[in-house]
Amino acid sequence: MSEQVENELAQPEPEQVVSGQEDVASQNGHIATLSPKVVRSAMWRHLITLQWSWNYERMQALGYLYSMLPVINEVYKDKAERIAAMKRHLVFYNTNPQVGSPPIFGATVALEAQREGEAVDSLKVGLMGPFAGIGDTIQAILYRPIIAVFAASLALGGSYFGPFLIFLSGILWTVLMIPLFYFGYRQGIGVAQEVSAEGRLTRLTDMVTMMGMIVIGGFIPSIMASVKTPLTYVQKVVVQGKVVTENVAVQTTLDKIVPYLLPVVFVVFAYWLLRGLKLSAVWVLIILAVIAFVCGAFGIL
Amino acid sequence: MPGYSIWTALVLAIWAYIGIVTALGPGLWWQEALISGFVTGVIVGNIPLGLTVGASLTLLSLGLWTYGGATIPDFQTGAIVGTAVGALAGGGGNGFAAGFAVAIPTALLMTQLDVLGRAVTTIFIHGADHYVEEGNERGVVTMHLLGQLPWGLTRAIPVFLAVWLGAGPLQTLIKAAPTWFSNGMAAVGHVLPALGFALLLSMLPLRRFWPFLLIGFVLFAYLSVPIIGIAILAVAVGFLVNMAQTRSAVNV
Repeated sequence: MSEQVENELAQPEPEQVVSGQEDVASQNGHIATLSPKVVRSAMWRHLITLQWSWNYERMQALGYLYSMLPVINEVYKDKAERIAAMKRHLVFYNTNPQVGSPPIFGATVALEAQREGEAVDSLKVGLMGPFAGIGDTIQAILYRPIIAVFAASLALGGSYFGPFLIFLSGILWTVLMIPLFYFGYRQGIGVAQEVSAEGRLTRLTDMVTMMGMIVIGGFIPSIMASVKTPLTYVQKVVVQGKVVTENVAVQTTLDKIVPYLLPVVFVVFAYWLLRGLKLSAVWVLIILAVIAFVCGAFGIL
Repeated sequence: MPGYSIWTALVLAIWAYIGIVTALGPGLWWQEALISGFVTGVIVGNIPLGLTVGASLTLLSLGLWTYGGATIPDFQTGAIVGTAVGALAGGGGNGFAAGFAVAIPTALLMTQLDVLGRAVTTIFIHGADHYVEEGNERGVVTMHLLGQLPWGLTRAIPVFLAVWLGAGPLQTLIKAAPTWFSNGMAAVGHVLPALGFALLLSMLPLRRFWPFLLIGFVLFAYLSVPIIGIAILAVAVGFLVNMAQTRSAVNV
């Protein structure tokens, strides 16, 4: 592993650096390497603790510095240099921690080994936004909702496999951080080019979105099947010449129009509150809860 | 009056602490309502209740995500306190009504403490600034590792107090509530997943992909295809459309 990593590190691509180009050029030919132990130590620090000191002011900055410390200590032997390097990492940093940050961190570990401080800083600033977007989309929109609905419907049926599915998801994303880190480490500065080859990514996102839409379409009626009305009305019908009064369930009538009409109405209403009236999720929650509570209490739902 | 011992409260508080800190890193998803409700169910001895409370909260958090560090309703703490209170009311529908009635306001109130935790942690990065200036690496490490305290304690302390002192009285209060109350809470539980679906749909490119939503609906509502079947069909459709796109790209 280490041999290969070191060899690939030998190809920094100076043309691709946004800023700090002169530095790279002057360093060309000089190749610094890190011991695999230091790289591993930085990787684990980042993987386990990146957000432990997350705060409003500089968000993941301190976690990033903590993760980079083993590298800084190996690369900069002079104390003043070390302090300067540490200061550089105490600036604002925030991105998606599991998908976005590992490749960024890996790439900056490789660059820090080359003493490319400026390249490190511009790479962090340049990639944290786009990588937050990619990572959050993959995790929050494409992956989590589908798994969460499956898990929740299993759990509502009393199955332990529901929470287990979520548990496995956590493991999956955590373990994935390891190859993502080494991908960044091997690519170095090329990580930006590699990922922004976007055509493939867009098509993949589209494909998963289509799949997600179909499943959500099925989930809305299945999960919300218990949104029904117990209301009945009295109807006079003529049976064999005699007028008979008969109780008719409103739900039966509704089902004849469109099955699962009430769940659909509530989802459309909530969507309209969010997108049409631009209300926050908390307000929509309160409005829905009040309506549902009143309807439930009066026996309408 | 039924209630919990200080030890149960302490164990649940520690579980809340572990849940949020492992959510920060490495990101184990233990803060998910389903897991935090399930584990609470194990601790208080009512697993089915932990599953239903956790699952109901999960369904209304479908589109929720802490984008850029945003504060969202804290369903982790909601599931813990809700399951604990509900278990006192006994299992079944009553337990669920009681648990859910407590979980929702807890999750909403906890947003205030989430903001507090995120703000207080700022102290540690200023400490780190100071230590870096001195070249004191050990100090920097300490600051980072202590950063978890405001996060963990803003969950652990309310859980401890709510379970130790609050669960008994809350449960008695809810038990005294008339049936229309539990009917109302049950309806809330049934309807709120609409928020989860709406949030999720508002994040997706609905304008471009709405026909796929209808396909899924028709499959379930009219053809009664089980969800697994719909998922398998979704995979097939996804690949077919992708293939068609690739082919048209090549032809052009």
